[in-house]
Amino acid sequence: MATTPSNMKGFYKLKKNKSGITKPTSSKKSSLHLVPSLGSDITQLTALISHGSPDLKDYHDNHEELMRQFDINMAYGPCLGMSRLARWERAQRLGLNPPIGFEGLLKAEKVRSECWWDGRI
Amino acid sequence: MTAMEIDTEKNIQRKHSTYQSLDKTFDIQNEIYRGQQYSQIYFARLHTMRTLLYSLVTHWKPSCPCLLMTFISVILEVSGNLEVMVVFRVLDFNGIGCEVYVVDRGHLYMVLVNFISGAFFKFFFSPICNGLGFCTVLGLEEGKECIIVGTLFKHMQLKPCVLDEYSKERSAVPLVKPHNFMHPDDHLVLEDESGRVKLGGTVLSPSTYVTGGVVALHGKETTAGDFLVLDVFEAGLAPQIEPQLKSREDKYVVFISGVSVGSSTSNPLQFQLLVDHITGHLGDEQEQGIAAEIVHVVFAGNSVEIPLGLLNGQNLASKDQSRVSEAVQVLDILLSQIAAGVSVDIMPGSNDPANFALPQQPLNRCLFPGSRTFNTFNSCTNPHCFELDGVRFLGTSGQNIDDLKKYSEARDELEFMERTLKWRHLAPTAPNTLGCYPFTDRDPFLIESCPHVYFVGNQDKYGTRILEGSEGQMVRLISIPKFCNTGLAVVLNLRNLECHTLSFGAQPSTLKTFNDA
Repeated sequence: MATTPSNMKGFYKLKKNKSGITKPTSSKKSSLHLVPSLGSDITQLTALISHGSPDLKDYHDNHEELMRQFDINMAYGPCLGMSRLARWERAQRLGLNPPIGFEGLLKAEKVRSECWWDGRI
Repeated sequence: MTAMEIDTEKNIQRKHSTYQSLDKTFDIQNEIYRGQQYSQIYFARLHTMRTLLYSLVTHWKPSCPCLLMTFISVILEVSGNLEVMVVFRVLDFNGIGCEVYVVDRGHLYMVLVNFISGAFFKFFFSPICNGLGFCTVLGLEEGKECIIVGTLFKHMQLKPCVLDEYSKERSAVPLVKPHNFMHPDDHLVLEDESGRVKLGGTVLSPSTYVTGGVVALHGKETTAGDFLVLDVFEAGLAPQIEPQLKSREDKYVVFISGVSVGSSTSNPLQFQLLVDHITGHLGDEQEQGIAAEIVHVVFAGNSVEIPLGLLNGQNLASKDQSRVSEAVQVLDILLSQIAAGVSVDIMPGSNDPANFALPQQPLNRCLFPGSRTFNTFNSCTNPHCFELDGVRFLGTSGQNIDDLKKYSEARDELEFMERTLKWRHLAPTAPNTLGCYPFTDRDPFLIESCPHVYFVGNQDKYGTRILEGSEGQMVRLISIPKFCNTGLAVVLNLRNLECHTLSFGAQPSTLKTFNDA
């Protein structure tokens, strides 16, 4: 519903309404940014939608696949609760020789900074 | 009787010593909670201890003709009679190295090689421990003897579990917590990244061990799926650095713990007597001469006790607010009297206004407006590590030993302290039953360098002993009793690490004498 400027002023001004409760004239709904455009099952999609956008592209990214293998590898310890870069640096410091290319990938932000399960568990 | 006059020629000077605080590992600094998990600290602990145990385990099993090693990757032939098998593996956190396996006349020897700046090498010949291979828990084969390294987990029946509230049957376990949760049916489990295995056999007694220690076990898997332990190997005492300056004069360090200013059991006169003695306001010249040799004072926790009834989350009335701060103000006044003359360290304890989880951060300096003006006043972390004239001190306010008392048994507190030194970990039960900050990159409680003096505060009685290590390390173990109950402070002589007590009593009948052990 279109509103005139004077109406908007009346709406936002902090003064007591003389005529009791008035409905706000602006009916601008706060839009849900995460409107699912594919699929109908909303509960399923909230799991996929993290960080504000559906990350379907991660499934097909080769770099992401490599990083997932890094996450799963038990030799570098648990992956939850740590950013990937912190985990890589810890592995480096403990002398576990993590692949050096990963540091470059993480610092150039070509892959997600958190592990694969972050936000999903 | 001569009149008392102020003799300016006979001014007794207090002795000096060099103090260096080594608390950096215990500082939490700018760490932010981002969802860190406790499994990270266990991984850091296991990895560091495992690397250490791998390098030490050759001392455990002396030379013997061997069997096959489980990991052999590249076989090279070197000119000469030696057949060389090279396995590249990271040895320890000091640098990259590799293990070279050399077969000489049918015997397999392991050579540890350190790469220094790319060129050749330092050779350490050490025969493989009895030809036994290292194994991960998942790689165990039935009937085959091997060595596994992992974290111990003690399964305890009586350990309080949060799920007990939800159990349908109200079992016969009493709701009142016993002081010790041990049970004859407790068993140990060894865990590493790949899996866990139940430990059997009579060599490992569950009453000695607690969850969280890392050990190496020699044994084999039985048909039942258990691991039958034939021998246990702990890391033992860490290497000790010799103090460079051996002082030839007597210098004393005073330890007090459990002063509990503000509690109903503490006697303010006792504490005032202690302060007066340290500052030299008590006694004649001889007494003052003795007091002048005190170079450092350590308050090992529980210095203040705020009445618990006031801390129930309600807003405090103004008269209650003054009651809360009273105890700390009194402590500040007395600390400033000491700090004016001697360097003082104050550590937080379980009852002090500091955080709950170990490592406890230093008591905030705004609690001590009077004392903090002196540069001799140091507010320290718990655990606390410092060096005085080259002598290394390490100690806690007692939470680590109290927790060990609940989950294992020993003759006395000194034996618990000895075990923590041998496991090279100050608080093995953290974070399982002892509150601990979720570090991800390191375990700050690992003891890398053996201290010369190891003290624990807030214990029930005084005890002290010299512990000797396999490589000539000597540690003075001190169990400091609670001052409010016993009136005892412990005094250590830096020259020869001998200990004795100072006893303060308000009534003559309560004075006791103790000999140094």
